Amino acid sequence: MSEDDRRVVVDGVSKLYDRDDGGVQALEDVEFAVDDGEFVCVVGPSGCGKTTLFRIIGGLESATSGQVRLSGAPVTEPSPDLGIVFQEYHLFPWRTVRGNVAFGLEQQAIDAEAREERVDAMLDLVGLEAFDEAYPTELSGGMKQRVGIARALAVDPEILLMDEPFGSVDAQTRSMLHEELLSVWEETGKTVLFVTHDVDEAVTLADRIVVMGAGPGHVQEIVDVDLDRPRDRTDGAFAENVEYVRGLISE
Amino acid sequence: MSTSLETDFGTDVGGGVDRRRLLLGALGVLGFLLLWEVASRFNPPYVLPSPRAVADVFVVELRSGAMGTALVASVTHWLPGTVVGTTLGIALGVTMAYSDLADDLATPLVRVLRPVPPLALIGFAIAWIGLNHAGAAFIIAAGAFWINYYAAYGGVDGVSEEFLDVAKSLGVDTDLGLIRKVVLPAALPEIITGIRTGIGRCWMLIIAAELMGVPGVGRELYTASQNLSVDAVLAYILLMSLVYLVLDTGVGAVQNRVLAWQ
Repeated sequence: MSEDDRRVVVDGVSKLYDRDDGGVQALEDVEFAVDDGEFVCVVGPSGCGKTTLFRIIGGLESATSGQVRLSGAPVTEPSPDLGIVFQEYHLFPWRTVRGNVAFGLEQQAIDAEAREERVDAMLDLVGLEAFDEAYPTELSGGMKQRVGIARALAVDPEILLMDEPFGSVDAQTRSMLHEELLSVWEETGKTVLFVTHDVDEAVTLADRIVVMGAGPGHVQEIVDVDLDRPRDRTDGAFAENVEYVRGLISE
Repeated sequence: MSTSLETDFGTDVGGGVDRRRLLLGALGVLGFLLLWEVASRFNPPYVLPSPRAVADVFVVELRSGAMGTALVASVTHWLPGTVVGTTLGIALGVTMAYSDLADDLATPLVRVLRPVPPLALIGFAIAWIGLNHAGAAFIIAAGAFWINYYAAYGGVDGVSEEFLDVAKSLGVDTDLGLIRKVVLPAALPEIITGIRTGIGRCWMLIIAAELMGVPGVGRELYTASQNLSVDAVLAYILLMSLVYLVLDTGVGAVQNRVLAWQ
């Protein structure tokens, strides 16, 4: 695969946090790439630096050495090309659902009519047309995260970065959101990088899984998930994949 | 029958006025007036006039136009003082809470100046500005300034970093943009509470501000106390309370409307 097909390249990223007692190595020489249109999950135990890696890829934090390239250009700060979805949603509570989804579009030079059209399309995509005038406090966790996804997608980013986005919703809602996310992914053809600690979740969603180990955070192995979608958790091959990834993590 | 009573007294808190609270509140006021009336029977009028006597003076002062004139005079320095002090206080609070540089620069100064009560500034007001509306407005502005400074500082300081991260990732790339699109709306509940508190506090400050001889409701109060007309003192206190009630109710309504998202 040539560099051209690669949407994101994580190139030898290390992160050292300075502390009074010498410093903590959070990430050491992390290296992997995400191809255009691919769905990649980063999975690992707590303390393996997943969130730090997520923040570096999103431009929210800088690497001590190495770099992240988005479509060939080094990432140095957050930008609309990097659509970010957080676990705790972080919807703007003073804005309606519509206002939240429109936020990024308001920063762009497009007229109000085109903006509203785009917002309607995004609300339709996540199934929230009927709640467009609701405030975030009136929504359930699952609905909030749908807004979070619509808000990130509205500005048409090159990649969708998600940090444990369904970590705060119940299991039933989570599996519903998995289906919805996959259909959004298929519909939009977006590249997705999805961070989670949940191996089942990673095997359900990903084309490839970047398995990380702790102390300091590093890439343990990159696992291809060769399963047809929709995936069935009761399926034998599914369980084998899960077992394999779990085995890597507990090594 | 009993169900209709229950709805009348128990659950009617959503839309309109809660009738039970209104009733009890009215009872409280009536009780207070009754106590006052009884107490006034045991005291000469120059010590404690009856509620009726105070009401009479209130009507006389109102009809003669004295009250209206005093009220207009007070508002003439209260309004600009409050507006200027509030604006500057919010501006400094937001700037210092948002910018570490501004915070480091101004914090020692703030700590030295903060304990100075607005009343202590009367000397400055007279020396720099004079015995006029502008001088009184200066004192009132000083009062509004600190309340709003602290409210805005606290509000902005509490804005979560993640909101800023989200905004940046959605294309807001200037400090001014972040302040306008994220910091101010996120801190608005605290800022509005500051404005509301400040408006009330400044209305009470007109008494102090008019101490130096500027005309207004506070001035009328002084004159009445110096003449030992307790009934007039009470009538003007009543006027101040009524104005405060109207102001605070109005601002409260605006507050509820602006913060409907909460």
